[in-house]
Formats: sequence, structure tokens, C-alpha cells
Amino acid sequence: MKQRLIVTPDLCTGCRTCELACAFAHPIKGKPGRSRIYPLPTGKSEMWTPVVCLQCDDPACAKSCLVDAITRNEETGAMELDNDKCVKCMACVAACPFGCSLHDTLHDLVVKCDLCGGDPVCAHFCPTKALTCRPVTPTRRKAVV
Amino acid sequence: MVSLTINGRVVQANKGEMLLTVTRREGIDIPALCHHDAVEPFGACRLCMVEITKKEWDGWTNYVAACLYPVEDGLIVQTHSSKVNELRRTVLDLLLARCPNSPEIRQLAAEYGVTQTAYEEIPDADNCILCGLCTRVCERLGFKAISTVGRGHDKVVAPPLKEAPPDCVGCLSCAQVCPTNVIQYKDEGNKRTIWNKSFELIACKQCGKQIITRDFAEALSSQRNIPADYFELCDECHRKELSVKMGSIVSWSREAAS
Ligand code: SF4
Ligand code: SF4
Ligand code: SF4
Ligand code: FES
Repeated sequence: MKQRLIVTPDLCTGCRTCELACAFAHPIKGKPGRSRIYPLPTGKSEMWTPVVCLQCDDPACAKSCLVDAITRNEETGAMELDNDKCVKCMACVAACPFGCSLHDTLHDLVVKCDLCGGDPVCAHFCPTKALTCRPVTPTRRKAVV
Repeated sequence: MVSLTINGRVVQANKGEMLLTVTRREGIDIPALCHHDAVEPFGACRLCMVEITKKEWDGWTNYVAACLYPVEDGLIVQTHSSKVNELRRTVLDLLLARCPNSPEIRQLAAEYGVTQTAYEEIPDADNCILCGLCTRVCERLGFKAISTVGRGHDKVVAPPLKEAPPDCVGCLSCAQVCPTNVIQYKDEGNKRTIWNKSFELIACKQCGKQIITRDFAEALSSQRNIPADYFELCDECHRKELSVKMGSIVSWSREAAS
């Protein structure tokens, strides 16, 4: 069953386990890739929140990609980036209003959350359940924070 | 689906796929300098040549460019037979005569055992192999700022009239895809220079980080309907902004609930 990612901001403690999980779930040439998720302080008392791609209905990343390297995976709802097609123009990195298309400078690749193909690894590792999964159902395929 | 044999192994592929797509997916390393998935196959460098045959061909073989050859049922492919490697050596020998100073070409040639070209080196050679990937990608992006000009020995990649190209937006895609890293550019202060044209890099209004040029952002806003203010913050400051917004929403809903 394909799953999508649900974020519950106020449960996040900023432990950064998701960051580690994501990096290890996306290795490039045997080395961990750049994490696609970032726990950040919200500025409200001790509250943190994971910041990750919202898989928008009207995605600025895909709209800005003039070579169509970013497309929707209809099964999972994720906007997926094809690194073989990407010409590294950085348009999507500049255009995403949530900063969730990223330049992995170590490997010189542009990356974003792909929902791990329908099994979000970060959610399995989040100790406080700020990140959880929910099965993709036809009525629930749209992006939710 | 079609079924073919590559280096003795049976492989499934989708109808209409090019051989190179399949060998890449199978992790077989075939040199392919003029190919990029962003553009249509072109067949300029001839390095991706492979040997093909079929049972019913009675021992006849053919040599084709993998990037341009659609898969067929029952195809038997050799990607590194001695004849194929010999062909690649010849191509590399010629490339080495054209670009004797290119580290990328030298390394690839050395992998195939060619360290010195048998042909006459071109005087004042630059490292351009004239694969046209830069111009094809620029065209695919819709800018069409550069093209190959001249013929034969005088052929070069250049902006029209060899002056600063009016349609270039400074996105660097040409430099990114060039297999021999010929295309020079410089980012300095808030300026980017490429093809003798100078561009303003947009600085994040919070932290100053630069990602793309103002010309590129304006082209994206007008052609793709992306609000211009999306380009005012860098990715990192956008993430911070989102976390703060989420904090406000959560505390607001908490208050509303209490
Ligand atoms: S960086 Fe790659 S994925 Fe992003 S817009 Fe440019 S070509 Fe498309
Ligand atoms: S779902 Fe996968 S790709 Fe997306 S943030 Fe979590 S671990 Fe990373
Ligand atoms: S400059 Fe680079 S990409 Fe353009 S034709 Fe020459 S080798 Fe190919
Ligand atoms: S990659 Fe096939 S001819 Fe260049």
C-alpha cells in the first residue's frame, strides 16, 4: 500500500532523526545524499517543525522546469525529479516558495522529497510521531500539511 | 514489452525505448558524450556504438549508435566486444586529434588504451567536440541564444554574430551539460558573466544568498506564470519562513481550541 507523509508540527522536538533517515534513504554513489527534510524552530516557545515538500497541487518547481524534469507520480502524488533530465539550471531551487527543491552541493545534484516512492522512510524513524504515514486513497491523494 | 539479450543476459524493455536508455538502466557503462535525457538523441559523437545481431541474421552483425536505436524483440547486443572497442578506439583517436588538451577526452581515451592520437592534432585546438549538446539544450529551454556557426574546420559554438547573445538569460545550463566543460562562466559579487554577457544575480533579501539571475527569473515569471516575489528569498530563508508560519498556525489553533 502506497503511503503519504503527514506532518504534525507541534510534536517535533528538533532531534533531526528524519534528516539522517532521509539522507541514508537516498544514497548517491555509496554516500548519503542531501536530506530533503529539515526540522526547524518555529520561533514559538520551544516548538519545532519538520519542513518538507508539500507536493503542491500547483507546483512552482515543475512549472519552472523548462525541460520537464519534475513530474507527478500519479500513484503516490509525489512530484519526482529526474536527475538524468535535469540540466541544473536551478530554476526550481529558486522558484519553490517553501525552499524544498534543493541543491546537493556535495554531489552537485538537484534533489527534492519523492515520498520515498510511497513509503516515507523519515516517518518510520520519527520518535515523537511528528511524521507519520497515511495510505494513499483516491480521496486523500491531495497535499496536506 | 520487448525482450532482448545484452552481453548474454536477457533484459526486458519498453517498446520504443532507445538501447542506451536500457543499457544505462542495467548499469552498463557505455560512453555517450553527446547524449542528455533532456533532449532528443542526436548521434553526433559515435561513442555509443554497439554490435547487434538476431538469430535469423545467420551470423550477420551490424553496428549502431545505441542512443538512436530503438529496442526490438529478439535483439542480441554486445556493448564491449573487441570489434566495438576497436570502433570506439578509432572515434577516440579522432577526438583526441581534435581536442588533445581536454582532460575528459584524454581520460576516456586512456580507458580504451589510446594515449596518443595517430592523426595530426588540430592547431590551436580548444576542447569543444562540437556535439551541439549546449545549443540543443538551450533550444529545448526555449532561449535559442547560441548555435553552431561555420562549417567543417571553422565550425564553432557561438552566439549569433559572436557578440553577447541577446536571448541568453545566464541560466548556465549549456555549461552544466557540456561533456568537456568548455563553456566558461564567472560568478563574482552580484554579477554572473557567460558568453561575454553580464547578468545580475538576485540576492536573497534576508541573507544575500544568490541562486539565479534576474533575467532568468523574469523569463520564468512571464513564461511560466510564477509570481516574481517567489524569487526574493533563497531556499533556506523560504524554509525558515514556512516553519515560522506553521508555528503561528499551530499556536493560533491551540488558542482557538482553549
Ligand atoms: S534544476 Fe533541474 S529539475 Fe530544477 S528546473 Fe532546472 S532542469 Fe528542472
Ligand atoms: S518521505 Fe522520504 S524523501 Fe521525503 S523527506 Fe521523508 S525520507 Fe526524505
Ligand atoms: S561547447 Fe561543449 S556542449 Fe557545446 S558543442 Fe562543444 S563540447 Fe558540445
Ligand atoms: S551518445 Fe550516441 S552518438 Fe553520442
